[in-house]
Amino acid sequence: MGVLAVFLEVVAVLSLLLSVSLAVVVGPDRLRAALTDLQSRIYMAVRPIGLLVGVLGINSVVREDGVDVSWIIGTNITRAIYTIEGTVVATIQSLVPGWLTLYFGYVYVYGYAFLLVFPLLAGLLAGERRYLRDTAFAYVINYSVGMLCYLLFVAYGPRNYMPGLVEPLLFDTLPRFQLLTSEVNANTNVFPSLHTSLSMTVAFLAVRDHDIFPRWTPAAVFLAVSIVLSTMVLGIHWATDVVAGTALAAISVWIVSSDRLAAVGARWQSVTEAVTARWR
Amino acid sequence: MASSSGSGGVGVTRRSVLAGLTGGLAASSGCLSRIRALIGRNRPRTVSLSIKTLPVDQDPYAIAIARQVSQWFDAAGIRANIQPVTAEELYRQTLVNHDFDVFVGQFPGAFDDPDAFYPLLHSTYSVESGMQNPFSYTNLSMDDLLEQQRRETGDSRAETVSRIQRRLVQECPFIVLGFPRVIRAARTDTFTRWPGVFDPSPVNLLTLDRTDGSATRLRATTPDKRPMANLNPLMAAYRGPSDITDLVYDSLAYRYRGTLYPWTATNWEWTGEDPLELTVTLREDLTWHDGEDLTASDAAFTYDLFRDTSLGRTEGTAPTFRFRGRTGVVTDTTAVDDRRLRIQFGDCSRQVARRALTTPLLPRHVWTDRTNEATLSGVDVGVATTEALVTPNIPPVGSGLLEFASVTQGQRLVFDRFDDHFMERDSETGLPNALTDGLPFEELELQFVGSDASSVDLIANDEADVTALGVGPDLTSTIGRADDVSLNVDHSGSFYFLGFNARRSPLTNPRFRNTLARLVDRATLSESVFDGYVDTAVSPLAGTPWLPRDLAWEASDPITDFLGSDGQVDSEQARKAFRAAGYQYNEQQRLLQ
Repeated sequence: MGVLAVFLEVVAVLSLLLSVSLAVVVGPDRLRAALTDLQSRIYMAVRPIGLLVGVLGINSVVREDGVDVSWIIGTNITRAIYTIEGTVVATIQSLVPGWLTLYFGYVYVYGYAFLLVFPLLAGLLAGERRYLRDTAFAYVINYSVGMLCYLLFVAYGPRNYMPGLVEPLLFDTLPRFQLLTSEVNANTNVFPSLHTSLSMTVAFLAVRDHDIFPRWTPAAVFLAVSIVLSTMVLGIHWATDVVAGTALAAISVWIVSSDRLAAVGARWQSVTEAVTARWR
Repeated sequence: MASSSGSGGVGVTRRSVLAGLTGGLAASSGCLSRIRALIGRNRPRTVSLSIKTLPVDQDPYAIAIARQVSQWFDAAGIRANIQPVTAEELYRQTLVNHDFDVFVGQFPGAFDDPDAFYPLLHSTYSVESGMQNPFSYTNLSMDDLLEQQRRETGDSRAETVSRIQRRLVQECPFIVLGFPRVIRAARTDTFTRWPGVFDPSPVNLLTLDRTDGSATRLRATTPDKRPMANLNPLMAAYRGPSDITDLVYDSLAYRYRGTLYPWTATNWEWTGEDPLELTVTLREDLTWHDGEDLTASDAAFTYDLFRDTSLGRTEGTAPTFRFRGRTGVVTDTTAVDDRRLRIQFGDCSRQVARRALTTPLLPRHVWTDRTNEATLSGVDVGVATTEALVTPNIPPVGSGLLEFASVTQGQRLVFDRFDDHFMERDSETGLPNALTDGLPFEELELQFVGSDASSVDLIANDEADVTALGVGPDLTSTIGRADDVSLNVDHSGSFYFLGFNARRSPLTNPRFRNTLARLVDRATLSESVFDGYVDTAVSPLAGTPWLPRDLAWEASDPITDFLGSDGQVDSEQARKAFRAAGYQYNEQQRLLQ
């Protein structure tokens, strides 16, 4: 199966998951309201989503040459990580029964994509401006810090460092996904785990805004924990990457939750307004 | 880095120094000299080695070897940590910058003649960069032996080569671990006769047969991204075993099954003895991929370039990173006319001299511009090097069977068959029949795939035809189960080795290296790492008639005398061996230097 086929497969599964879950979590009433008021809701989403897309665009450009840059300026921390944690990942892998591997493989790919897209769509459709904005900004923080770390640190994951002890389970059980993941990311970008940080970000926000989507919170937490475990069970990330990822998630949620962001946003708005006023 | 850390309890405390000084001021000069001798001593440091090697994604065995070896070293009180590095970076750090203690690598290409030892071990190459003596091994009597075998022939050369190998095993600038049996998955519904087409060189693709006449493209997968970024045949850091540039650049002669055949040349003739002189005649109407004529002056230019890529323009020379051994015997080249080239050699036998004909030919009109000093956007970076040694050389202009077509996003490299090549054009080539049908495809695609498991998956799903490099032994059953896919196991000429950097203490000491080598149990590596897919060896010439009988490897391994049993290093025995070599241990049983 080529890259395109795998990509289409993911998109198809994702669409199915999203339509079902949106119906359940957002509920028919809010969805109906969204339909009548679609234009203003899309208008509301333009800025945060636009920012996110912009950062992702920069991210993909940086990643293309980033690997070469990080070999020049970065520090190889693989063995430092190994010194810290040793064979923890191997132990985790040995504790998980084989029949669960497939579950973790699918969670790592589909579950992750679903977990990230859902809050944005739900926020948009339910007209929850703050929820949408915070989610998008938290993603932006995660991606930016992650990108910086990938430039500064070179590290191989446990599957690349401890063959024999840690098996490359994702690629053994679902080899077609390697095409997708290697397209998206280099095998030296493991610290911190962005799978972990983004999933935990969604989970933290789901807990924080429990009253907006009460049915989402348990699902988000369960999925996030599964994804975090999957990164280690599949031999892709070190426990250190996961810890760093969780910390990054907590920081990003703290930043978007405190007033700092609002203050920066307000200042930015006044500056842009002043500039546009002058140009008019 | 051969770093060091203080060892507890040994050395001098500040109080003892002060006490000594105050006492010493009042004392005689004899006592002062005692103090100087005492505080002038360096504290002994524990030995710690870093092992650099490729991650699993790029090599199925290397890091597993490194891990096993580091455990053995650890049992002997030597802390060893492993640093996985990407291929390009590994070979730049080790071969070009000599920044390593120990590295696990694979010799690039086949070790097809004993003279291959010359660039690898001769002391005059220890200061050069590239695949020339990266270990910085220096030994004057080894130099003599290496020079001697160049002049000798017959039995006396065989004897000298045996002595070189025995010395190699004794002094261990690097230790040979074995020749891997390369496992490949290949589809059988479009092409057949896969075995051996990539080893020792992809030029063997000429022996491939096409079964499905409609197939025009051969699709190969590779875990190695280097060819997508660089196709410069002079840059050692980018060239691995079975390298694709072998198909882009032709050489005057080509070795097929041990025999040297004229390739771009029609024939050659020895025209002088003192100095040894060879006149080579090129085939008629040869052209480069860009349509320019290939003449004898291109060949003459190439040999000059190998010697000094600046062609004498800069102060000092900037020799190429590869082919130095083979072309080092060439003293002078002259283009007699468009098709005839006269080559003069230094003090060597004809057998050694002829090896110079197997290096690639480069087009003069492309590479003349690359003899200037290389700068970074016009800024001198302080390293004497030329454009020829830094250019990625994409697109490459060669004269070989494959002509560069495109490279996409560093992931996919495509070559077209060069239809003006003499193999495609001429009916009478004088080459063995197996090669004369030309390439059985019009395009060759090399696709980067992140891991060997997904490569095999692509082949099983008919998205690719063959894995150009080997896959791990754990995939043999997957390959066996797939439809229309064959499992090929080829003997590779590229041995795995453990290289030591003799520039760094304590690896400078041959006795230390020799004792380290005794911590390596090849039988265990063969089982636990290679899963049996290896021909274990102690010499690069194993499997050739050049190997003396006493260096033939057997499971009992009498040669290296492993310091332990059943794959476990006996710490007590190891410490005894290092102590016998003059080394000491601290209370924590860490080796001191």
